[in-house]
Amino acid sequence: MEALFFNVEDGFLEAMVRGYKAGILTNNNYLNLTQCETLDDLKLQLAATDYGNFLQNEPSPLATTTIADKARETLVSHFMYMRANAVKPLSTFLDFITYSYMIDNTILLITGTLHERDTNELLERCHPLGIFDGIAALCVATNVSELYNTVMVESPLAPYFEKCLSAQDLDEMNIEIIRNTLYKAYLEDFYNYCQGLGGPTAEVMGEILQFEADRRVLNITLNSLDTELSKDDRAKLFPTCGRLYPEGTMKLARADDSDQVRMALDSYPDYKQFFDLPVGSERSLEDKFFEYEVHLNKRSFTRQFQYGVFYAYLKLKEQEIRNIVWIAECIAQQQKERINSYITIF
Amino acid sequence: MAGNLFRSEEMSLVQLYIPLEIAQPTVSELGELGHVEFRDLNPNVNAFQRAFVNEIRRLDEMERKLRFLEGQIHKAEVPVRSMDSSLYYGRSRTQQEIDELEERLNDHDARVQQMNTSLETLNKRYLELTELRHVLRETAIFFDEANTRTDDILGGTHREDTHLLAPGGTLEQPDDNEAVERGEGALRSANLGFVAGVIPRGRMGTFERILFRALRGNLYMNYAEIDEPIVDPITDEVVQKNVFIIFAHGAQLLAKIKKICESMGATVYPVDERSEKRRNDAQEVLGRLEDLKHVLDSTRNQRRIELAKVAENLESWSTVVKKEKAIYHTMNQFNYDQNRKALIAEGWCPTLSINAIQYALRGVTERTGATVPPILNEMRTVLEPPTFHRTNKFTVGFQEIVDAYGVAAYREVNPGLFTVITFPFLFAVMFGDFGHGIFVTAFATWMVSQEKKLEKKRWGEIWSTFFGGRYIILLMGIFSIYTGLIYNDIFSKAMNLFGSGWEFHKHGEKWYGEKKWTYVFGVDPAWHGSDNVLLFTNSYKMKMAIIFGVMHMSFGICLNVCNFIYFNKRLNIYTDFLPQIIFLLSIFGYLVILIIYKWATYWPDASLAPGLLNTLIYMFLSPGNIGQKDLLYKGQAGLQGFLLFVAFVCVPWMLFAKPYFLKKEHEKRGGLGYAGLSDENLNDPTAAGFTSGPGDNRPSEDGASSGAGHVEVASSGHEHFDFGEIMIHQMIHTIEFCLGAISNTASYLRLWALSLAHAQLSEVLWTMIMGNVLLMEGAVLPIALVCGFAMWFVLTVGILLVMEGLSAFLHALRLHWVEFQNKFYAGSGQKFQPFAFQTILADTEE
Repeated sequence: MEALFFNVEDGFLEAMVRGYKAGILTNNNYLNLTQCETLDDLKLQLAATDYGNFLQNEPSPLATTTIADKARETLVSHFMYMRANAVKPLSTFLDFITYSYMIDNTILLITGTLHERDTNELLERCHPLGIFDGIAALCVATNVSELYNTVMVESPLAPYFEKCLSAQDLDEMNIEIIRNTLYKAYLEDFYNYCQGLGGPTAEVMGEILQFEADRRVLNITLNSLDTELSKDDRAKLFPTCGRLYPEGTMKLARADDSDQVRMALDSYPDYKQFFDLPVGSERSLEDKFFEYEVHLNKRSFTRQFQYGVFYAYLKLKEQEIRNIVWIAECIAQQQKERINSYITIF
Repeated sequence: MAGNLFRSEEMSLVQLYIPLEIAQPTVSELGELGHVEFRDLNPNVNAFQRAFVNEIRRLDEMERKLRFLEGQIHKAEVPVRSMDSSLYYGRSRTQQEIDELEERLNDHDARVQQMNTSLETLNKRYLELTELRHVLRETAIFFDEANTRTDDILGGTHREDTHLLAPGGTLEQPDDNEAVERGEGALRSANLGFVAGVIPRGRMGTFERILFRALRGNLYMNYAEIDEPIVDPITDEVVQKNVFIIFAHGAQLLAKIKKICESMGATVYPVDERSEKRRNDAQEVLGRLEDLKHVLDSTRNQRRIELAKVAENLESWSTVVKKEKAIYHTMNQFNYDQNRKALIAEGWCPTLSINAIQYALRGVTERTGATVPPILNEMRTVLEPPTFHRTNKFTVGFQEIVDAYGVAAYREVNPGLFTVITFPFLFAVMFGDFGHGIFVTAFATWMVSQEKKLEKKRWGEIWSTFFGGRYIILLMGIFSIYTGLIYNDIFSKAMNLFGSGWEFHKHGEKWYGEKKWTYVFGVDPAWHGSDNVLLFTNSYKMKMAIIFGVMHMSFGICLNVCNFIYFNKRLNIYTDFLPQIIFLLSIFGYLVILIIYKWATYWPDASLAPGLLNTLIYMFLSPGNIGQKDLLYKGQAGLQGFLLFVAFVCVPWMLFAKPYFLKKEHEKRGGLGYAGLSDENLNDPTAAGFTSGPGDNRPSEDGASSGAGHVEVASSGHEHFDFGEIMIHQMIHTIEFCLGAISNTASYLRLWALSLAHAQLSEVLWTMIMGNVLLMEGAVLPIALVCGFAMWFVLTVGILLVMEGLSAFLHALRLHWVEFQNKFYAGSGQKFQPFAFQTILADTEE
């Protein structure tokens, strides 16, 4: 059914995103990039790709941060273009994507204020997709309820924030809890929204978001193993929309060390393999997660008439920027031997 | 000049040995000349690993600075001296001059940058002062108002204070440290502090809401809009701003407000509570603003002078840099020789231009005083050369039409030559109207006569399409005038120039015409307005379309012969050309003869004339028989049966003859054992490398060439023989031709259809508008005439000229691309793209 009406409103944007996707760097491009000797070489190589002349007005010598900023700028402009041309429900879907950046920005600002950083400097570091009205006022707040009542109540994150009002003081631990509670609420909401859309969007996004949820569960578990976070509190932070829920999350909530984590994953072969790292391997668990995420996102392009491609494009492009920055850093710091640990997309 | 359009020019693969020290001027000279297309000799080398990357990078940097300066000049609205042609074709520079240019650019860049920074600080200061002035003015107004209503406000605020703050229980003590800030203003006793500042208008709403929530409503806020637009010194954007003043209670709250202000991007200015002090401040600010304005103006002037200096040379500088960049990009495609003392270049050039190139090379040697001149070698090759048609401003448009379909294979017969006439003609057959033709011709004549002036105009893509095709349009117009005369149509009316050949007599109700003589030229005007005009023109135009179509297609098939003879494929004449032409002529050629025969015959009773359509259909359905009614001449049945037989024989002839002969030839050659030998010979690189061309006057250099002589021999020289493949190919070809002969002939009927549509549309337009207008009488007539004519004219131009013209153009295009060119044109070549500064500069200008 969606094949009949999808193109009426979203066909143009799907075509756009698939066109953008065709510009994602391939393995060949990366091979060329890794051969560069200086960042200027890198600029020359990137000029031959879809990035085009995005660095042409930057004076040499280039900094890696400039490359990252400019690359992110192109991505954001692509996304903004699509957002501006989208109608409901795609526009809502795209808004949902930006919420995760809002969460990150919020946490960034709160943490920064806690460490008494300069507000403007913090604002510059915020992801442009996650800017919302009054975000700057976040640094005024000193406790959670004030945070909520002053700023968050008006932001799209308000419904998620309601759930973490119990925490009182803003300290490292609480901020971490807020972040995870927000994410949990956000993921569940996003997941439910996608399921509500139905059709292939639900299938494709379901898979991606389930993995996202499971990744969070695993990360929370591993990071909280030897901390003062109680097991009950830990369980509360687990998103409930993943494949690990409910059995896996229950086991993980009770895990005391990484061996128990591994045992909890026994019945999830997909995830278990992440932990089978060969000794001395350069790849970390994080890399494995990224690889799997890239795999899922790539796969979403094989389905038509669904919104997963928009999400996937953004995530793939972010991975690409991470790759470019990694390569650029390796070149800038003369660490050529590690240059190959980027994650190939195509 | 041998650069005719019939075939593309002969090309030569040349090898150039250029001593390293004069490589740059040599390439620059060749770029000015624009006769050589260089081949990339290092296709496997990465862009940044090539020999001259550093030079290019340096030029990139210079370009970036030029762009920066240009942007600054644009922003400062300094007029840029536009390039006149002498600068346009200005030579590229020597290395030293480039160094100097770079230095100058660096200089200018640094100076402008520095001025920009100082200007920015000044602007920022200026902005702050302006904002402060506004804040002071607005607050003054506010306080003045407050003063007059002191009692009201005092009472009000007191009440509000107690009411709002009591539940919170945080009543401020009047003697806290804030008290110092509080002066003798009217609000002194109200126990309030205030914050004043400026905020962008767009953020006002959020700002207010956040303040309200953060302070739980414990504030009084007043704001006023600044009517003067404020320019942001960093982004140069005009921002609308508001002055605000917030009263709140207590130091903590004030600190919080200040924090929120800062985070929201507002600027807070210190405003004193004492009105005298405020007045003094305002005076001081005004004075400082005045001073600052002077400084700002002089700085701006200085910057302007500097930019004007740059603007004078900007265009020529960027031309030089672009040329230099192109030179190094080209040099990146060259090879080093063994000793790394010379560069080796390979490229295609028209054989006729070799002398010009030699001359240019000699010129470079003399100018630079180099001891070793660059050497040009002509090489033998089996590579397919690029296709180069020497066109002029007249033929280029027509050639573009052909190239848009596909660039001719090397030395293939070029349909562009015939398109020059056939294209406008077929267009005119569909567009034929004397009046419309005059308009089109006038428009094209204007473009052609003013082309020098119009060339420089940039009026957008649509205009440049029209302008580029001005000669096509001119010919289309002239041909339309001609066909319009033939059709005797001028805005759907007829012209009676020579007196009609018909006389009319009234028999009862109707008028009957009697033919006295034949009208001298074209269609007799008496046909216009007669009842059976459509019957006549339809039959006439339809038959004419068939005749043109068959002629056009037969001509296309005949052009095959030129190709076959030139490429020495004589076998194809007997196996492809003959059966094709016989097939077409025996069916449709015969039809054409029938049409003419029928035209030439006098039919006393027109209703007894046999229908040619039926004749053709029954020729297939019942070969050898013909009804008495359809008989045109004696022996028709027998002849038709014979023609049909011949046509049917042609099909297996086309299908089997060529594969059969090819197979036989292959077997013969294979049997004699020659096949391997000839292939080997072609693949021997030394044989190609050593062959020196006629232009080479230093044979001793050949020794060096053997090492570096880098000749790729493509495997296309010999082909693999596969009988099945040839058979299938031939089968497709045959089916396509036989079906195509019928469908393509039918396709030419569009000539009739469009011409009919055009004539009818223009007639409708005339009768519906002018026809009605002319029927009016009295005082209405002049007004109606003016309005009606304007409407008729606009619609004629809009619908008949532009839209109909476009559609006729597209149909003519189709007839050429599909019906004509598929008969003989391979269009598989590659266009010759010489390295020429002219095209490079023109490209970047877009």
